[in-house]
Amino acid sequence: MKDFIIPTERDMGTPAKVGAPVTLEIDGVAVTVPEGTSVLRAAAEAGIPIPKLCASDNLEAFGSCRLCVVEIEGRRGTPASCTTPVTPGMVVHTGSAKVRKIRRGVMELYISDHPLDCLTCSANGDCELQDMAGAVGLRDVRYEAPNNGGMVNHFAPRTTSGEANPEWLPKDDSNPYFSYDPSKCIVCNRCVRACEEVQGTFALTIAGRGFDSRVKAGGAGDDFLASDCVSCGACVQACPTAALQEKSIIEIGTPDRAVITTCAYCGVGCSFRAEMNGDTLVRMVPYKHGKANRGHSCVKGRFAYGYAHHKDRILKPMTRERISDPWREVSWDEALSFAATRMRSLQAQYGRKSIGVITSSRCTNEETYLVQKLARAVFGNNNTDTCARVCHSPTGYGLGQTFGTSAGTQDFDSVEQTDVVIVIGANPTDGHPVFASRLKKRLRAGAKLIVVDPRRIDLVKSPHIAAAHHLPLRPGTNVAVVSALAHVIVTEGLMDEAFIRARCDWDEFQHYAEFISNPRHSPEATALLTGVDPVELRAAARLFATSGNGAIYYGLGVTEHSQGSTTVMGIANLAMLTGNIGRPGVGVNPLRGQNNVQGACDMGSFPHELPGYRHIKGPEVRAIFEEAWGVQIDAEPGLRIPNMLDAAVDGTFKGLYCQGEDIL
Amino acid sequence: MTEPAADEIDAILRAHLHLEGPLLPILHAMQEACGHIPEAAHRPIAEALNISRAELHGVISFYHDFRAKPAGRHVLRICRAEACQAVGGAALAEATLAKLGLEWRGTTANGAVTVEPVYCLGLCACAPAAMLDGRVVGRVDSARMDALLAEAGA
Amino acid sequence: MKIYIPMDSAAKALGVEEVATAIRTAAPEAEIIRTGTRGMIWLEPLVEVEIDGERHGYGPATVGDVAGILDGSSVKALGPVADLDWMRRQTRLTFARVGVIDPLSLADYEAHGGLAGLRRALGMDGAGIVAEVTRSGLRGRGGAGFPTGIKWKTVQEAQAPQKYIVCNADEGDSGTFADRMIMEGDPFTLIEGMAIAGLGVGATRGYVYLRSEYPDAIAVMRRAVEIARGAGVLGADVLGSGRAFDMEIRVGAGAYVCGEETSLLNSLEGKRGVVRAKPPLPALEGFLGRPTVVNNVISLATVPVIFEKGAAYYADFGLGRSRGTVTLQIAGNVARGGLFETAFGITLGEVVNDLGGGTLTGRPVKAVQVGGPLGAYIPVGNFDAALGYEELDAKGGLLGHAGLVVFDDGADMLGMARFAMEFCAVESCGKCTPCRIGAVRGVETIDRIAAGDGAAIPLLTDLCETMKDGSLCALGGLTPLPVMSALTHFPDDFATRREAAE
Repeated sequence: MKDFIIPTERDMGTPAKVGAPVTLEIDGVAVTVPEGTSVLRAAAEAGIPIPKLCASDNLEAFGSCRLCVVEIEGRRGTPASCTTPVTPGMVVHTGSAKVRKIRRGVMELYISDHPLDCLTCSANGDCELQDMAGAVGLRDVRYEAPNNGGMVNHFAPRTTSGEANPEWLPKDDSNPYFSYDPSKCIVCNRCVRACEEVQGTFALTIAGRGFDSRVKAGGAGDDFLASDCVSCGACVQACPTAALQEKSIIEIGTPDRAVITTCAYCGVGCSFRAEMNGDTLVRMVPYKHGKANRGHSCVKGRFAYGYAHHKDRILKPMTRERISDPWREVSWDEALSFAATRMRSLQAQYGRKSIGVITSSRCTNEETYLVQKLARAVFGNNNTDTCARVCHSPTGYGLGQTFGTSAGTQDFDSVEQTDVVIVIGANPTDGHPVFASRLKKRLRAGAKLIVVDPRRIDLVKSPHIAAAHHLPLRPGTNVAVVSALAHVIVTEGLMDEAFIRARCDWDEFQHYAEFISNPRHSPEATALLTGVDPVELRAAARLFATSGNGAIYYGLGVTEHSQGSTTVMGIANLAMLTGNIGRPGVGVNPLRGQNNVQGACDMGSFPHELPGYRHIKGPEVRAIFEEAWGVQIDAEPGLRIPNMLDAAVDGTFKGLYCQGEDIL
Repeated sequence: MTEPAADEIDAILRAHLHLEGPLLPILHAMQEACGHIPEAAHRPIAEALNISRAELHGVISFYHDFRAKPAGRHVLRICRAEACQAVGGAALAEATLAKLGLEWRGTTANGAVTVEPVYCLGLCACAPAAMLDGRVVGRVDSARMDALLAEAGA
Repeated sequence: MKIYIPMDSAAKALGVEEVATAIRTAAPEAEIIRTGTRGMIWLEPLVEVEIDGERHGYGPATVGDVAGILDGSSVKALGPVADLDWMRRQTRLTFARVGVIDPLSLADYEAHGGLAGLRRALGMDGAGIVAEVTRSGLRGRGGAGFPTGIKWKTVQEAQAPQKYIVCNADEGDSGTFADRMIMEGDPFTLIEGMAIAGLGVGATRGYVYLRSEYPDAIAVMRRAVEIARGAGVLGADVLGSGRAFDMEIRVGAGAYVCGEETSLLNSLEGKRGVVRAKPPLPALEGFLGRPTVVNNVISLATVPVIFEKGAAYYADFGLGRSRGTVTLQIAGNVARGGLFETAFGITLGEVVNDLGGGTLTGRPVKAVQVGGPLGAYIPVGNFDAALGYEELDAKGGLLGHAGLVVFDDGADMLGMARFAMEFCAVESCGKCTPCRIGAVRGVETIDRIAAGDGAAIPLLTDLCETMKDGSLCALGGLTPLPVMSALTHFPDDFATRREAAE
């Protein structure tokens, strides 16, 4: 049940750590946290909020704002709690007169260089600087201009003497989705760190130094649009003020409620908070507890939500008698009885199997389950199918053959524990951007990467990322390359024998080993076919087999080839061969086309399988569902999507209930 | 002396890429060769080091030594630090700037001299100190300063 | 005829090259040996002529003095240099060879005790080397005074595939030039010290991060490293021991804050020279995230003599917890400026009045800034302060890198306080708020005080407290020291203008 309790949005200040428990005392409260946890986070866990501006629990501690200073008994000075790890028995005071005075003094400096336009500021009410000024009790800013000139600042376009203020920079509105207003920047570096640590694009920096330090997109002379920025929105999300702000907030105002939802754009399936103002969607903010995205987003989910209020969007049920008629808006009651009556009359006229359903992998488990149930329990046939069967049916078949189930073996969190990754036939930075960011983070932490792709994709080399091996194979030679990798592992004795003996069939493996060891599968023998340098391929195989947790990620560059299923089986064999199944950080990971391919398959959307991949032909299987649903279930598999279309042309398939899918 | 050819940039990069932390040595070499860090070199440097252009800009703009544009033919650096101030360094610097009609980091109209502040040349026991290009000068008074300026053609 | 002519940049700044050229022309047969400086900068250019095996000094020498120097009739004759009061009163351990030998002659270096320490260290294991440094009581000479042995022990015990020795030669403090002087005058001693450090902690690579404002030191150090490598002092097989240590000279790029060890490491890595939060300590996660010893030039250059003469010999000098010698750099408005190495414990008054001979202008001393731009202005009333880490701390001061800048009564202490804030604003890395914004507000607030706004004084005091307690590193954290010491000890300089304005 725990998963269904919505966790708090509270920012804990620094990332969670894993480690042995450490107990310390904060303001008289005993707190136990994992080793390596910051004092700031430990206090947050104990419900003691320490003021902060540069700290955020999705970024490594930085220690620049100096608001989170505390006193620790037996230590000199006032360390920043964000950069101070807990130690056993540590006694911390977070609210002494001394630290309160420092915080107020620091805040007075911040505000002395900040425009005091809170009431008309787009971040009014949603501004951490404002909150912190309140939290530290700042009542007065005593800094004033000396007689010989104005106070140096970043927010006034002109100095008191009327000259252009050299510290002032104009607003940068070049990005279509958000604006950068340097006058409101407090140089906390959160945006720069988010772009580096979370997104991994490194499009931002601080330019200059000292008081002149400014957030800067791209190289000299660039604005946001000209920079390497991919508009993932992580910087906007990170900004504690209105310096980086969604244009929609500036135009509409702050939201008053939020709905948790799932992005339907790609196969990652990021969770979002759809932040609303009344019925108006103001912005989409990545949900920090989303299991696929952990608070990150890409440009599509974050900003491409124009569909929500698009004028073409159908908001009311409509019906029409024939295709030449105009659509007619009707009530839900009328629409539902229209559909039900017509479907039933089609069956009466053309037979039980003349209608069917198609569901989508963008729908929830509940929705897809109900649609297949509609076909089986109400229509009385198995004419149900889904797009998931098309794009990743090689995955379904290949993994079904090798593992007994068509599911990918890992969740997205798994990448955080991987040591070596093979990416085959996928371009995650473009196709699955949020996963790519998580992968890049792991690569920057030292994991190794092997790219098998004819293209020199972004992952082969981009700032702070470089693949250990790029195997630019000729299109259509996936099987040969995967087999050559296995050949090297088997012939060089790099396989995980203990795993194979314990978890696979050792006798079967002998056949496989004999087959794959045949010299015709060697990198040298297949080089002419694949175009891959055998030396490079051998090195890649050795790296994958000997570097710890190995994970394979693949995409449509594998499945949408004629030998897709064979390649998937080869990939599964590679994982089993090296013992890379069955724990975090390893596995066979299809990068899917939609966010719920797995669920759509699990829920029984296929014409031959009931929920849970149970074949329709099994009488004992049908019996379970017949008892649960109280109906007779047809024993014959139904039509697949192409069959439905063919049958429609033939005149035997007359009615379709289509959910969330555009088959044309 | 100003815009380097692609092969010159490549040569500088190749000479330094084996170093641990090669960026500052590369930037020094680039400035040595061109008198400044030309924008044309930004992309090749970033690509060679596998860093972003933003990061490179962040680094270049942090260090006062690195110039975006070439300086004058000579660079005169006058120490502003305390030991030099103790023996009239501030007045000397002000008088020099006033004589040339420059602000700090300004270049004379004839392009001969750029005057920059420097914070300590380690000549604190023979202050005030200055440095003309790479050459140090101690106990600088107005006569010595005039001689230096004349030599530089200011 | 053997003639010794310094090539230290202080001597160059005072015209030694013209004198050297004149001597070469006038005495083409003479053997001319270029040396570092003896540290008596008021006597530079100081030419030494060997007479009966003894080196006689002439200085400050000009081209016009050359004939007299060569025939012994010069009025600039000082007698044997070793007998000069300034030299006799010193305990030259770290600087024993500076001004004496040819900095780039390894043979000269060895003839004067060089490499003896390294040879002894090669007979010890890492733990033994670290223990010897710990026993010597050596503390970081860069300013913080952290025990060197403890730092080395942390690195020695850390497990890592690569460790580093990084020498902090970013000597940016005004009034200090000891690092420059030893690098120009005895570079092999720094190289030897780094090699011993490398053997001690298990580091095979070293870097000297040397500020770009020292072109002469850069040239000498680079050449010295080449010579040492060529002679097998550096490389894969240090002095035939089978143990490796090699090093490189890296040049800074005009950022005072890179003298702070974590900024220095960022800079060395090719990043913006911003300060890193500690922990992690550089000793555990330093250069490229690997265990790293970061020591000042003088700390490392003192290591060879500790190994040559033994830890006990070194620890015998000094007072309290300040063991060994301190290399005072006497500068600013002073009659006799230069470097003076002595046991810890000498008083400030003795240094300024006795050694330094009072001000250059002949006017009364007003204040001495000890420890660079982040050090306190100490009034004459506190001249009884003994120069030791704790002793000066007790007087509200900071020994720092042991530079002393003397000011006469013409100094405007409000102006100096303003400059301290201005310097902090120019050199702030910009990471932490108290320093980034505080230094700019400090300048403005002092301007208000200067204009007669007395209400700004408590604000300045509050600001200094915020900077002192709230800053990430010593730049923002110690800038209040010169400001507040000026305000505390010289209130008249902050009051007169107000009264004048009223």
